[in-house]
Amino acid sequence: MAAEYSLGLLVAFLGIVAGFSALVRERDDLHRILLTDLAEILALAVIALIATDLAEALILPGLVVGISELMAVSEVYILREGLTRQPEQRVRIEVMESAPPIIAVILVGYGIVLSGFSGGAVAALGVIFYFLCRGHRERFHAIEVASGYAWAIWILAFFVFMLLPAYWFFAVMIAGGAILLKVMAKMALVGTMRGGSNV
Amino acid sequence: MFELPGAAIGGREILVLEFGDIVDYFTPYTACLFAFALVFTLLVILARPERQVDIAFGGDAYYTKEVQEKEFRFQRFMAIACGFATMGAMASGDVFNFTLFTSMIGITNIGIVAAYRIRHVLDAAFQYGIVAMVATVPLFGGAAITLATTGTLSLWELYRSAVEVPLIARAFLVLGVMGEGMAPFYIAKAEITRAPGAPFILMIHVSSLLIFLRVVEIVVSM
Repeated sequence: MAAEYSLGLLVAFLGIVAGFSALVRERDDLHRILLTDLAEILALAVIALIATDLAEALILPGLVVGISELMAVSEVYILREGLTRQPEQRVRIEVMESAPPIIAVILVGYGIVLSGFSGGAVAALGVIFYFLCRGHRERFHAIEVASGYAWAIWILAFFVFMLLPAYWFFAVMIAGGAILLKVMAKMALVGTMRGGSNV
Repeated sequence: MFELPGAAIGGREILVLEFGDIVDYFTPYTACLFAFALVFTLLVILARPERQVDIAFGGDAYYTKEVQEKEFRFQRFMAIACGFATMGAMASGDVFNFTLFTSMIGITNIGIVAAYRIRHVLDAAFQYGIVAMVATVPLFGGAAITLATTGTLSLWELYRSAVEVPLIARAFLVLGVMGEGMAPFYIAKAEITRAPGAPFILMIHVSSLLIFLRVVEIVVSM
């Protein structure tokens, strides 16, 4: 193992020790949730520093387990503290009224230029920002339809890859466009997560 | 083709299931544990939630609580998932899958406990959740150290006497399983056994007992 890895492992272990000692001292429940999350991230860092393919395969399930446990515990916390009340009045910020269309158009346009997975992420940022600022009414149906068609087109591109490999460039363009739509549709749902009747 | 070395305390393998790289196996020991988990999972699938009776002290009065099956759908689902995870942990032939199934048992146990809408039960579920989350650190850490020192996670390799697994990795594995299987202690704390829905809660006890027994086998054989 290279020296940098050993050094990194040492630092990660020190971080784990610090995280655990903080966890022992902390009394506030919300802070304890955050600290456990921190400890988990450090464990992932330890696994990552082993730097083999198998270790890499351990990281993803570790991350999924961590996130699902975090979600379960936070749900329990919310229930226990009774934090299910909706805010009565939202903060009004001028720039949140005027900026969304411009920024959303720029981000979505740039995302389409990039295309593919990263393009989807960039375009989705624009849509998330728009939904977060302007609110959302009855827009789920359109998103679901777009996402469904994108999935079908993506599969179609795979069939082109397998059956007509000569047209690979065509298939790449189709798949790139479809994955752009799909990622954008999925991530745009994050922008609608601000409570309300239809969430 | 696959043969357990003599060091394995579970006995000789009686059935080997090969899914590509993932080679599950049953020894007399793990087969017993597996059958136990299977029986309890079937019980959870078939059982109806118990009717609970509270007796008022100092008199003849008692309350019976009406229990609808609908209320326990989520708990039943979680208990069944917990049973499957336990069976997977019993049969798995590598540390990788064992750690994953163990953490899945932890998640489903949180789910079973958290399904109650009683404050002190939720309190205990929260504390247990924190412990289970923290326990994934030594659990995956133990797997990672095993991998780093021996280059494999397969129990078929690790059981060989030539392969030496460091003590710290074994200790971390046991520590992680202890954290994930901690639920019964919090059950006692929560007096959750006084809450309705008994057959599903039993799954928590069964699963944590079984993963303890399995991790002891793994750690001693390694």
